[in-house]
Amino acid sequence: MIQQKVGAVLVVGGGIAGIQAALDLADTGFFVYLVERRGAIGGTMAQLDKTFPGNECSM
Amino acid sequence: MKHRFRIIAFACHWCAYAAADLAGTARMAYPASVRIIRVLCSSMVHPHLVLEAFQRGADGVLVMGCREGECHYLDGNLRAKDRLSALEDMLETMGIESERFRLVWCSSAEAERFTQACVEMEQTLASLG
Amino acid sequence: MNIELLTLTDVEQVEGEIGRFRVKLRQRPRYVNMDRCMACGECARVCPQEVADAFNGGITTRKAIYLRYPQAVPLKYQIDPQRCLKIQSGTCGACEKVCQAQAINWEDRERSWTVDVGSIILAPGFQPFDPRGIRTWGYGIFPNVITSMELECYLSTAGPTQGRLIRPSDGGPVRKIAFVQCVGSRDENNCGHGYCSAVCCMSALKEAMLAKEVGGDVDVAVFFLDMRTPGKDFERYYEKARRRGIRFNRCRVHSLEPVGDCQRLYFRYITNEGRPARETFDLVVLSLGMETNADARGLAERSGLQLNEDGFLDTSSFQPVATERPGIYACGVYTGPKDIPGSVVEASAAAMAAAGHLAEVRNSLVRSVEFPQERDVAHEEARVGVFVCCCGSNIAGVIDVEEVAEYAKHLPHVVHVETSLFACSQDTQEWIRRRIEQLGLNRLVVAACSPRSHEPLFRETLKNAGLNEYLFEMANIRNQASWVHAHAPREATDKAKDLVRMAVAKVVLAEPLPPVQANVNPTVLVIGGGVAGMTAALGMADQGYPVHLVEKSSQLGGNARHLYRTWKGEAIPEFVESLVERVKAHPYISIYLRSQVVKAEGFLGNFRSTIRKGNSPLILDHGVAIVAVGATAYKPQEYGYAESQRVLTALEFDKLHAVGDERVAKGRSFVFIQCVGSREPERPYCSRVCCTHSIQAAIELKEEDPSREITILYRDIRTYGLREKLYKKAREMGVVFINYDMHDKPSVRLGPNELYVQVTDHVLHMPLSIRADVVILATAIVPHPDVKDLAQVYRIPINEDGFFQEAHAKLRPVDFAGEGLFLAGLAHYPKPLDETIAQAMAAVAQATRVLSIRRKDVDAIKAYVVEDKCDGCGLCLDVCPFGAIDWDPKSGGGEGTKLVRINAILCKGCGSCQATCPKDGVRVAGFTYHQLMEQVRSCFAA
Repeated sequence: MIQQKVGAVLVVGGGIAGIQAALDLADTGFFVYLVERRGAIGGTMAQLDKTFPGNECSM
Repeated sequence: MKHRFRIIAFACHWCAYAAADLAGTARMAYPASVRIIRVLCSSMVHPHLVLEAFQRGADGVLVMGCREGECHYLDGNLRAKDRLSALEDMLETMGIESERFRLVWCSSAEAERFTQACVEMEQTLASLG
Repeated sequence: MNIELLTLTDVEQVEGEIGRFRVKLRQRPRYVNMDRCMACGECARVCPQEVADAFNGGITTRKAIYLRYPQAVPLKYQIDPQRCLKIQSGTCGACEKVCQAQAINWEDRERSWTVDVGSIILAPGFQPFDPRGIRTWGYGIFPNVITSMELECYLSTAGPTQGRLIRPSDGGPVRKIAFVQCVGSRDENNCGHGYCSAVCCMSALKEAMLAKEVGGDVDVAVFFLDMRTPGKDFERYYEKARRRGIRFNRCRVHSLEPVGDCQRLYFRYITNEGRPARETFDLVVLSLGMETNADARGLAERSGLQLNEDGFLDTSSFQPVATERPGIYACGVYTGPKDIPGSVVEASAAAMAAAGHLAEVRNSLVRSVEFPQERDVAHEEARVGVFVCCCGSNIAGVIDVEEVAEYAKHLPHVVHVETSLFACSQDTQEWIRRRIEQLGLNRLVVAACSPRSHEPLFRETLKNAGLNEYLFEMANIRNQASWVHAHAPREATDKAKDLVRMAVAKVVLAEPLPPVQANVNPTVLVIGGGVAGMTAALGMADQGYPVHLVEKSSQLGGNARHLYRTWKGEAIPEFVESLVERVKAHPYISIYLRSQVVKAEGFLGNFRSTIRKGNSPLILDHGVAIVAVGATAYKPQEYGYAESQRVLTALEFDKLHAVGDERVAKGRSFVFIQCVGSREPERPYCSRVCCTHSIQAAIELKEEDPSREITILYRDIRTYGLREKLYKKAREMGVVFINYDMHDKPSVRLGPNELYVQVTDHVLHMPLSIRADVVILATAIVPHPDVKDLAQVYRIPINEDGFFQEAHAKLRPVDFAGEGLFLAGLAHYPKPLDETIAQAMAAVAQATRVLSIRRKDVDAIKAYVVEDKCDGCGLCLDVCPFGAIDWDPKSGGGEGTKLVRINAILCKGCGSCQATCPKDGVRVAGFTYHQLMEQVRSCFAA
């Protein structure tokens, strides 16, 4: 069992919601594991808009 | 015959430049006469740059910015339009047909609009001779 | 850098508790080494296996080795093991042979490991409903019945038809399109989903408009039950679609049948008047709803969470992203169907909640990179190194890179040139770094791909070599030459030379740019003491930021003081009371009641706002502001409101109902009139909350006494998302719903002790008179008068309806374009309490992000003043879109000595000033007039 609190967050799902949450956390001092079951993030929004801006989810 | 012309395209980093990248990814051929100069916004293009291009031998100049309402800097594209539209008269008085200069608005997804603008400019230049 | 992206990965098991979870992850093999793959695409070109591409709704094909989409992140190929010949049968292996990066790894195996985290956020998303096999719609049987996702592909210029609309059956022209709404939603018989998917009306409108744009005179009809456009600017779009000639047909779908040769379809339906009707179409588009996928179900199970009967996670309205398990949060469609801005808002809210209880371990695990001391090269002669990339064969297959390299050697200031197979690979980065040090290079040009993809990478390399990162330029000889002039290698090579020459000309003039650092005051100003403002204030204060909370009235609570129950039935007064107590007791929150902001100056990090409390002004310094001034209720003139004590607004009715007033307690017949003041020409927006609110009140009245007669007169019932359940329940309880038309509104006649409501019955086509004891008007939510004042004070935009305008409707829903300013609650748009709270939490997340930049550098591409050239004409002041330029006070020595100065924090580097300046008195670093001019000149200097 871990004793201390851990300054990392697991985000499950690499769609627009998961990406947003991951960026918010990473920018404010937390280490983020962004887990996506497919081979690339972007979720459904990437399918709707073929120009899903890479810079929105770039690290 | 196509390489006879030389076209300078000032392309906004956020839209037209991205559209040109996408045209590349999609292997969409367009005239090899086009040379792109990346700018951060179409409103960055000083009229002198356009004039200089013509003086140095450009056959056509394109200034390409974001679609209306999509400017990364609020309304830089409109400022570019205001500023550069005035160039047309000046070009005519210098003996340069105003058709050789064109403002084009396209989004980062519109690779076809980008290539189309290049093709159209070449056609225009061909018809002007 | 502080996000570890784990693709092809699933959560296996979640152990532990809030603050200390141990999560077991399992990653499936990709068979492509991510460190080596450069996404050149050779592998996919030679792969013999064509597979239907699910990304494009199966209407295009991909290979067994593929990118999910061209802009995929990470931009690395993957192998579909089910389809790969090598993996399935040991044959082929063509990709391995052509991969010059040697990235194919047949030995890749599944791996499992555990990670320790303090919080978990679940955002597994949804899948579109699959209409296959359901007779009514004929999908999968008739080729000309397609889904909305497929239409999205057909309409895309990058799609299989280059954006042209054709009949899938024979490629024939499409003259008539029907959109069928609620496929997979609001339909328990056909699809088992009673809920509304909340997004399909708007997406159908968007696609219908696009189809009109693409198809010219194509006839478009939308068949719907209720048109649900309750979001910001949605109703205007609906009106626009009507004016554009799109037909809207309220009906129930009966069936689809082929016409003769199957190229067209009969669409059979039951009209709003109850009559059967039929029309012929070339293309029928099914507007697919959303449903939970198997992955989301499994995730809930493995996380120890319970999904509701619809497959979504129930959350409290007051804690909209918290699950039943502390420390685990959910957002997006997992908590119920919602659109993109709604998902983005919840995601930020979840981030805030996830960070909230980890404040003491913030920054404990983040990594930062140390760079060597920067070499001062300002006074050195330019020594340019040029690296020409082959990009596997992507460039070298067309362009003669050796010729380009040889040519570059003779360009002025170039002291070193070499070619590389992949300039972007890890080992090449290290190689370039060593070359810079060994040869004393002080400028770098990489002729490769787009700066949009790899500029950050090479800048990093410069920093690692002790050079300023801005002494760099890329020549995009792949996207702009080899890829687009593949059939003209000679021209492509010549063009590449030109591009290299132009890049060298520009980089020679590049100057090292010092980092721009923002000094940020950590204090937060929150304007508005309603639920949004209080939630925001608490969120910031809990993280240790001092908060000034300014409220105009004499008490905290705002509009929520008039509300009783959320749509889920939770009691609002107790919640508001406890919120007020927590705000009052918080040591970091200073409350200013009866106070208003009257003046503000400054910018992100350093605002100075003046508030007036009574007659005394007070100055507050702060780094960011969250604007949450709420909204007010429309005061009706219509329906006898002014004349009768029995015609009430919804809020008045709630109060009388709560206190047991006899008009309500003894009332036998109640009529609700919807859209009072909303969706009118002078107020063309939907107030979003009123349908749910009226239906909820109707249910309560029925629950108290089932014999009461309750009628709801509506234009469209907009119980979006899971709220649809309430609508269904009300109908089952016997609440009567009568649809009325905008052009044939109901009227109210006053009797001595009762009221008579006249309305046209659309089924019988006859006027109907309903006797009512009480008439309840569902009145509009209208913008607060303070919105206009604050818009002026902070120079923030308002939309046509008078609500604040966010920076980006989808991706930045709580930010203003002007940095450091955020918004939440009704001031943004009418919304229910749960959405208000989520938005306030999201504003906290975004404000926290901005306040964290104290430690960070901002992009140094900014305008600067050349003091010996600026003559103070001031033309640039007018053209700056960000108000970043003003007069330099230290130059105020009278006529002609004035200089401008630039606020580097506000400046975004657009260069509008540079293009306006007649004297070269202002320049954008990295894109100076001279640099651009040199590029132009060098273009013709071959």
